[in-house]
Amino acid sequence: MTDTTETAAGIRIRPLDELDISDIVAIDEAISGRYRPEVWERRISYYLRRAPESSVVAEVDGKVAGFMLGEVRSGEFGLEEPTGWIEVLGVDPRQQGKALGRRMAEAILEYFREQGAHSVRTLVDEQREDLRSFFESLGFEPSGLRPFAKRL
Amino acid sequence: MSVKTSTLPKRYHEAVLKWKEVFLPDYDFLMENWDKHFPNDPEFQLCAYRELGMCTEIECGDLKGKPKAQKPSDMLPEQAHHLFGAIRAQASTEFGSIQQHRLTLARAQEEEEQFWILRMMAEELRHGYQMLHLLVEDDWSSVSKESASDVFEDILSMTTGSHLLGAFNIDFDSFVDNVVFCALIDRVGKYQLAMQKISAYQPMAESMPQMLREEAFHLAAGVVPMRRWVMGAARGETFVTMEVLQKAINKWLPRGLEMFGDERGGGTNVRLGLKPMKNSEAQRQYYDEVAKLVRDLNLRYLRARVADLTHAGSEAAFDRILAGETVEGVRREDLLHIPHMDFFRRRGVPSFRMVGDQGETFATVPEYLQHLVCTLPESYRASRDYKEYVQALTEVQEGRMTAEQAAGKMPALRRVAGACPCSKSVRWMVDEPSLIPAVTAESQPAVGQPVA
Repeated sequence: MTDTTETAAGIRIRPLDELDISDIVAIDEAISGRYRPEVWERRISYYLRRAPESSVVAEVDGKVAGFMLGEVRSGEFGLEEPTGWIEVLGVDPRQQGKALGRRMAEAILEYFREQGAHSVRTLVDEQREDLRSFFESLGFEPSGLRPFAKRL
Repeated sequence: MSVKTSTLPKRYHEAVLKWKEVFLPDYDFLMENWDKHFPNDPEFQLCAYRELGMCTEIECGDLKGKPKAQKPSDMLPEQAHHLFGAIRAQASTEFGSIQQHRLTLARAQEEEEQFWILRMMAEELRHGYQMLHLLVEDDWSSVSKESASDVFEDILSMTTGSHLLGAFNIDFDSFVDNVVFCALIDRVGKYQLAMQKISAYQPMAESMPQMLREEAFHLAAGVVPMRRWVMGAARGETFVTMEVLQKAINKWLPRGLEMFGDERGGGTNVRLGLKPMKNSEAQRQYYDEVAKLVRDLNLRYLRARVADLTHAGSEAAFDRILAGETVEGVRREDLLHIPHMDFFRRRGVPSFRMVGDQGETFATVPEYLQHLVCTLPESYRASRDYKEYVQALTEVQEGRMTAEQAAGKMPALRRVAGACPCSKSVRWMVDEPSLIPAVTAESQPAVGQPVA
């Protein structure tokens, strides 16, 4: 009983809910090889608390096959204007090639626009060429905001 | 998409604040600790939210395509009557759940989970406020002889036992109830809110989106602690065992199913454009969702109990256990199960039928009560609510009353005098037989509408 978008035969994009935890844990495990239910219980609680519609899952034939978590925030890193952030995404390796990532991104970007965001940002590991090309295909460009890090 | 906020007129707003002081005394504590537990989250505001830019045409029923009503007098009398009852019932549930949660809030073992429930209580207060706003903002005199202030007082004077729906008249016995209630009863709330999002009454439809956003976290506040508890149970912790969780599910699920109203009803709401689904359809979807929750909890339990199990391995093991095998020492009875839809029902088609949690049927009342001893929490069986159920069941089985009469005869607290929200102005009352309205498929949903 949620607002869903049927984007192609058998594929639905809908807002995240608390019953997606198990499926997201399984997708993460399939990608990373690590079983981390506690991490996702906490993380999904966070996104549901903040803005449940700003995170989505993709269903293929009624089973969750991908997820994209994000939200609109203001005031981060000196960015005063409302900015959409895509923070985590994952697609079941067995379901890749169905443009699930693109379909989820389109839904989430539409929601960010509705929330008044004029830009959307994310951080991508330079080693992850697949992620970089994915975001470039969506129109993302390198930003003037550069990440800095220091090991402690 | 934009949101409009507004508050109740001063005297009504202050009455809600007074109610809050009595029934939600930890509110200030929550606000003082908000940033610690919910850093960077917007500050909580006690106000009504209206989402602007929503569909302005009726979305289902006989009037589909016609403009939505902007005020009660724009509606058909039948529409307004049904909607007025739904708003009133919904307001009752929102305030009712706070009264239930406060009893055992302090018994939470984890501070995080306690603050989740406390936040949820504050948001339920806002949901009740939102419903009161709908009742007070417009003139409902065409469907109610009571003035807005009388309706307002009536709702705020209800306490556990006098609310309009059964689930909100049952006391909590431990923090397990707080959590399982969120996972099961707030889930009914999600359905009702989602259905009312298409309401033919525009102010009602516009009230739903923000409530639904908040409800999403309320469900997580139930499901996540349950997931943590089954993990603990699998590791041998004895704080909350699988048996305790199962009995809590058995206690609340039947009441959740009944909140959708009689299985044969709901058609009127669809016809009038107030909801898109009949009762049985929504109830079935709800039941399937709870079945998924129970399956997820079992898989979480298995992964914690059996080392080195993969995701696929846990699903395969789960299927074998369901088929009757013992896998790595785990038996079917070690896991949770969803009670049968007809189990322990007192309203709707299966009311007083003596169906067991696995769908088995019982021939005599003593046999059935023995089954309930094994399936319901001991503390609940010591309650007034359970005692009255047993009495009604006995009378139905002895042919002294029909199931329909028994459904109407369940006791409820009623306001007998006074209107002060903190007065002890309610008493246990049972309708006189001559006053019990005939329960029909269409009349029962009037009390079986909403939701926290």
